[in-house]
Amino acid sequence: MGNRATSIRALIATWFILAVAGDIGLALAPMPPGQASNAASDESFVIKLLAVIAWPVFSAVLAGLFFTLVINHRTPPQGEVSSAELRGNPRVQTIWIASTLVIVLSLAVYGTIALAQDQPGGGISTVSAPLANPTSTDQPLEVQVIAQQWWFTYRYPSYGGIETAQLVLPVNQKIQFHVTSLDVTHAFWFYALGVKADAVPLNDNVFTVTPTQIGTFRVQCGELCGLWHGNMADNTAMVVSPSDFAAWIQQQTALDAPVMKFLPPYSHTYVPSPPIYAG
Amino acid sequence: MDAVAPARPALSPPPSLSRRLHEWGLLLGVVLAIVGFVVGWGIGSVAIAFTQGKDNSLGSDAGILLGYALSTVGFLAGMGFLNYPIGRLLGRPRPSEEDNAYLHGEGGGLSKYFRMTTDHKVIGMQYLVMILAFLFLGGLGAMFIRSELLTPAPSVATAESYLTLVGLHSTLMIFMASTAIIGPFGNYFVPIMIGSRNMAFPRLEALTFWLLPPAGIILLSTVFLGGFATGWTGYAPLSNENVAGMDSYLVGFGLIGLSIALSGLNMIATIFTKRAPGMSLTKMPIFVWSVLVTSFLGLLAAPALIGAVLMETIDRSYQTTFFVPAGGGSPYLWENLFWFFGHPEVYIFIVPAFGLIMEMLPVFTRRPLWGYRVGVGGMVGVGLLSFMVWQHHLFTSGIAPALRPFYMFSTEMISVPTGIIFLVALGTMWRAQVRFTIPMLFIFAFFFNFLIGGFTGVFLSDVPSDFTLHASYFVQAHFHYTIMGSEVFALMGGIVYYLPKMTGITMDTRWLKFQFWAVFLTFNGTFLSLVAVGILGMPRRVISYAAYLQPLNVSASLFAFGLGASMSLFLGILIWKAIFQRVPAAANPWESLGIEWQLPTPVPVFNFDAVPTSWSLPYDYDTGKPAAQIISVAPALSGA
Repeated sequence: MGNRATSIRALIATWFILAVAGDIGLALAPMPPGQASNAASDESFVIKLLAVIAWPVFSAVLAGLFFTLVINHRTPPQGEVSSAELRGNPRVQTIWIASTLVIVLSLAVYGTIALAQDQPGGGISTVSAPLANPTSTDQPLEVQVIAQQWWFTYRYPSYGGIETAQLVLPVNQKIQFHVTSLDVTHAFWFYALGVKADAVPLNDNVFTVTPTQIGTFRVQCGELCGLWHGNMADNTAMVVSPSDFAAWIQQQTALDAPVMKFLPPYSHTYVPSPPIYAG
Repeated sequence: MDAVAPARPALSPPPSLSRRLHEWGLLLGVVLAIVGFVVGWGIGSVAIAFTQGKDNSLGSDAGILLGYALSTVGFLAGMGFLNYPIGRLLGRPRPSEEDNAYLHGEGGGLSKYFRMTTDHKVIGMQYLVMILAFLFLGGLGAMFIRSELLTPAPSVATAESYLTLVGLHSTLMIFMASTAIIGPFGNYFVPIMIGSRNMAFPRLEALTFWLLPPAGIILLSTVFLGGFATGWTGYAPLSNENVAGMDSYLVGFGLIGLSIALSGLNMIATIFTKRAPGMSLTKMPIFVWSVLVTSFLGLLAAPALIGAVLMETIDRSYQTTFFVPAGGGSPYLWENLFWFFGHPEVYIFIVPAFGLIMEMLPVFTRRPLWGYRVGVGGMVGVGLLSFMVWQHHLFTSGIAPALRPFYMFSTEMISVPTGIIFLVALGTMWRAQVRFTIPMLFIFAFFFNFLIGGFTGVFLSDVPSDFTLHASYFVQAHFHYTIMGSEVFALMGGIVYYLPKMTGITMDTRWLKFQFWAVFLTFNGTFLSLVAVGILGMPRRVISYAAYLQPLNVSASLFAFGLGASMSLFLGILIWKAIFQRVPAAANPWESLGIEWQLPTPVPVFNFDAVPTSWSLPYDYDTGKPAAQIISVAPALSGA
């Protein structure tokens, strides 16, 4: 028996060192999707938190499997075990179920509080009309994302509803994406900002986010939308300084001026026309 | 050696019409399927031309859909599924004893595997061959997909053929996984384990199997109709605008849904009504419990799928607008119906694997199953929760943000009952002298892979992390860990374990040990690469991807080729051992206490010639008490 007890102690010590070392590593490592926006930081933090909680549990179960299959195999058990004990142990079962329940409930409570405090994600818009040009960075700048097979276009209702093929956003400004589609279901996925919102025809999916880093990023479609779904990606989405943004908007407004009369009036959704039928 | 074969009179009467029809069933079925397709295609096309005045009506979806439907009916009629009901309707005499015995697979050597048979053991073998065929075809698709993804730009495939391959790979694998454990082992062993001579509805059981070949062929026929670009989820309205290849998906999936629901109904009725006296619910082997839970899932969830594909077929053929937003329909309707089926569906995959693994574990630890009751409770808990989580597939879809905390909570709750399965496993292995046989290696791999599958699931259940990981390769790797790494590994272990019983031969060789390590390492190499690819932001189902993801994709592809080779090695060993080098197996090679191992091999047509008595759980390895006593009252009957 002494041999076995030593192995168990050695195993627990090994597990503890692995769990602590792994958790320190996970806590220090940069986690996706990065820190380019408040939503991305939130998501990165949640992924890190889950990883730090999961790793010790994961390695404990692995250690248990390793113990029963490898160490045990080398040191045959001695002494009789009662027949009832072989068929279950209510105390161990209760402890196991209670502890998994506690971990899960605390995760769910934490997640719910986090969602209630700051809901970065979307939902169907309750905003009836486009907001005016924001006067402060806390007031959201509305940007519409229109998906269709197989590209995205963007409209800026605060700037006369101009339409652009490139997404440019001012840094440190709250952005309210309004995502919709003209044909099938797509998803607007701005990985670096931690934004993913399905684009569903005749639906206005809202996602609020504040970009915090200047840079050029990739935007892609996240929901299978037909043949060229994989190519519905754009490496030129930009987050720029407010002054650069103002200059860019001016330039785009001038470019758009001759064609503005052909654009439909700005709206949160557009009726796809004509409706598509098969057969 | 078909056991119950009392000496027949030398001059047996000429075979009846019904028996002759059954003998030629497969051929008749194929002929009637072709006739049915032509008739359905004609009626559908004429009808659509009549009602809508379309010029090109002979290529219409209505024609193809009706053709598929009638060809399935024709095939089943040819196989003989209508003989009995039509005979009863016309008031003809009941089938004779001899006809019934023939239908039950008595005599007739190999040919009984190619006709309608009501013997649950024959049906189990039919299922085994069918799902291995699906698994092989789906695996070929995976090899093509990984070849294409070696480079960031389209290379070996066109966008069209690539998406068709993705759709075929996923849908075939879903077909396979839906019945991979329940089909072969559930049908074969559940009646035996509960001490029954057959299933509650033997004809229905035959039907659930014979719906699969038409479903598979109809699905594969999509390549002649332009394929479908929607993957296995078939999201509307993309499916509305797809070419006629979509119809194959809809009919094929509808038939699979029907098979799942009917199989569930039959299993529930069997387990509740056909148990031998003394076989109480608390003495049922845990595998039977897992089949019972899964059957409820199938019976309650699959109708949602059947309803959804019916709505989509009339959307496509008669221009209703259930899923067309401009006509007042909603893409969310499809997503809700599909995932209301789709989430219980993934537990239809995994719960029988839990049961099979826990059934085999005591045999190789030589210990009683530790915590039988909590194990059953765990599976029932998974089953109940599985109906309450489906909107976690829709966290980013924009519907019902207020409900997200609930679905996050219910999804995270699932880790409690699944955690119990690990507890039972650890408790059973604790301080035991484990026998490291091939099935035991697969059991070990099951728990390792399912551990990763479960923990990756936690990241997807939390809403903020899901915004990053949803629809990425992380999801793909997650469900391959649970379905392939767990269910298919359990299937391979189960085949090695049960083949001696089902066929009388063994496939246990040293090659299998090599095969196990190859499949285990290449599997983890492939899908750990894909976990990383997903975290870095690669979306699923793309033919092109960002250049910085190429090294990890190459790694995944190379491991995947090794995985394909080692899976083929398993099939190769199985075929070699089944056909060319048949090594007779010992009667009870694993020294199991299960009742299935007390029966002679091959198992007599009606399993038991006496009702088994004094039942107990088949896990008493400390006392060595077998699951039940089979006291043969008339040895002359069971002898040769």
